[in-house]
Amino acid sequence: MSWFFRNRSVNLIVLVVSFLLVFLPYFFNVPGLYWFSGKLMTIAAVTTAFAIVVAVYSQYRRSFRIINARRKGWPFHVYLLLLMLVTLFFGLAFGTNCVGYRWLLMAVVTPLSSVIYGILAFYMASAGARAFRARSLNAVLLLVAGFIVLFYQAPLTGAVFPAIIPVATYLNNTFAMAVSRVFAISVCVGATVLGVRMLTGRELSFLGFVEEE
Amino acid sequence: MAALFEISGFVSGRFVGFVLVALIFVLTYYYMGRKKAPYLRRVAALDAIEEAIGRSTEMGKPVVCSYGIGGFDYWTLAGLSILSYVADICARTDTRLIVPTGGGHESYMVREQAVDLVKTRYLIAGKPEMFNEDDMPFLSGEQYAYTPGYVGLLVRERPGAVIMTGSHYSEAMNITEMANGVEAFTITAGCYTGNMAALACASDYIMLGEEQPAAGAYLSKDPQQLASIRVQDIYKFIEIALIILGLIAINLGSDVINRLMIT
Repeated sequence: MSWFFRNRSVNLIVLVVSFLLVFLPYFFNVPGLYWFSGKLMTIAAVTTAFAIVVAVYSQYRRSFRIINARRKGWPFHVYLLLLMLVTLFFGLAFGTNCVGYRWLLMAVVTPLSSVIYGILAFYMASAGARAFRARSLNAVLLLVAGFIVLFYQAPLTGAVFPAIIPVATYLNNTFAMAVSRVFAISVCVGATVLGVRMLTGRELSFLGFVEEE
Repeated sequence: MAALFEISGFVSGRFVGFVLVALIFVLTYYYMGRKKAPYLRRVAALDAIEEAIGRSTEMGKPVVCSYGIGGFDYWTLAGLSILSYVADICARTDTRLIVPTGGGHESYMVREQAVDLVKTRYLIAGKPEMFNEDDMPFLSGEQYAYTPGYVGLLVRERPGAVIMTGSHYSEAMNITEMANGVEAFTITAGCYTGNMAALACASDYIMLGEEQPAAGAYLSKDPQQLASIRVQDIYKFIEIALIILGLIAINLGSDVINRLMIT
C-alpha cells in the first residue's frame, strides 16, 4: 500500500484537490464548496490529533533509549517521562479542568514559559550590542533610531522624556511601517509563485521527491 | 466602502483579487514553459549552506537544521525544501544531521513529513543506515518548552552549523544567540517582522522576504523553476504601480483604487 502513497502523481493529485477545496470557496459563492472545505479542515484536525500520539511515542522511545544507555542527562529524561505520565493521568482521568491538571499548567508550564520569554530581552540586548556599532553614517542613523524606539518602549520614558514619543511614533509609523509592507508584499508574491511551482509539480522537494526519481 | 466590481458568483469584493492571483498563475506557467533561466542575484544565505555543512564536516561536528514551528503554511513548505537540500548534502558527506521538531500545536503533522523526507534523502544517497530517527527529536508541542529543548541540544551537541528556516517566531532569538554562543555557523530565515532586525544582528547569514519561498527553486538550479522567480519581479512592478496610482488618486479626491483593491 505504501507504494501508492509514495507515488508522485497521487501526491500531486491530493495537493491540487486540497488546494482547490480551500482556494475556490474564498473567491466563489458556491455553497456546496464550503461543505467540502469544512470537511477537509476536519480531516486535517483529526490527522493532527493522531500525529500527536506518534510524536509522544517518539519522545518516549527516545527518552527510554537515553535512560537505558545511561547517557549524559538521563535523569532529566526520567523527570520528563514522569511529568508526561502525571499530566496524562490527570488529563485523561479527571479532565483538563481538574485541580491537578490546572496546577501543572498554571504553576509549572506558564511560569517556565514566561521565564523563557523574559530571557529573550537579554539575548536581543547581546545581539544588539554586537551588531550596533557606529562604524559608518548608516550605522549611526540605525543606532540613533534604535535607541529612540527602544527608550520609547520603556514604561518610564513617556514620563521622563515626553518629547521622545512623537519621534518614536513617527519612526514606527513611517519607516518601520513602509519596510514591513514591502516585506509583506514580497513574501505574498513569493509564496504564491511557490504555490504555482508546487501545484504544477515542479517543486516537490518538500514531499521528498527529487529529479532522479 | 463598496467594491468597484461586484460580479455575480464571486464573493463580494474578491473579483479583482481573483484576477490578480489568476494572472500570477498564468505568468508563472508561461515563464516556466520558456525554460530560459533569468539572471538572478546571488542569495548569500543560500549559497552559504554548503559552506556551513562543509565546515561542520571538517570539524567533525553535527549540523542542526530546523524547519519552523508552524503547520503546513508556505514558510514551513519552504523550510522543508531547504531541509531536503541540507539532508542530501549531509547524507553525501557523512555528516550527522539533527532536526529538532515540534514547537507548535500544528507541528505534529509536519514532523511526520519531515522524518519521511530526511529518511528518503538518506535512502536516495544510498546510506539508509545513517538515518537515525533519534536525531529528529520531538521536543514539545509548546513553543516555550521547545525553545529550551532546542537551546539545550545546542549546548550538548555543539554543532558546527545551525540552519534555522521556516516559521520561527520569538524563540528564534534565543536559539540564534545560543548558536552564536557555541560558535556555530548560523544561517536563519526571518518570517516574523518583529524580530527580523534582531535576527539579522545575531546570524551569520539571513534570508529575508521572498528569498525563503524562492529557496527551493534557487537551490534546484532547474531553469524552469528559476524562470518562475521572474514573475515575482513583474508582480512587484504591478504593485508599485498600483501604490503610486492609489497615492495620486487619493490626493485628487478619488477612492477608485481603494475600491478596486478592497476585499
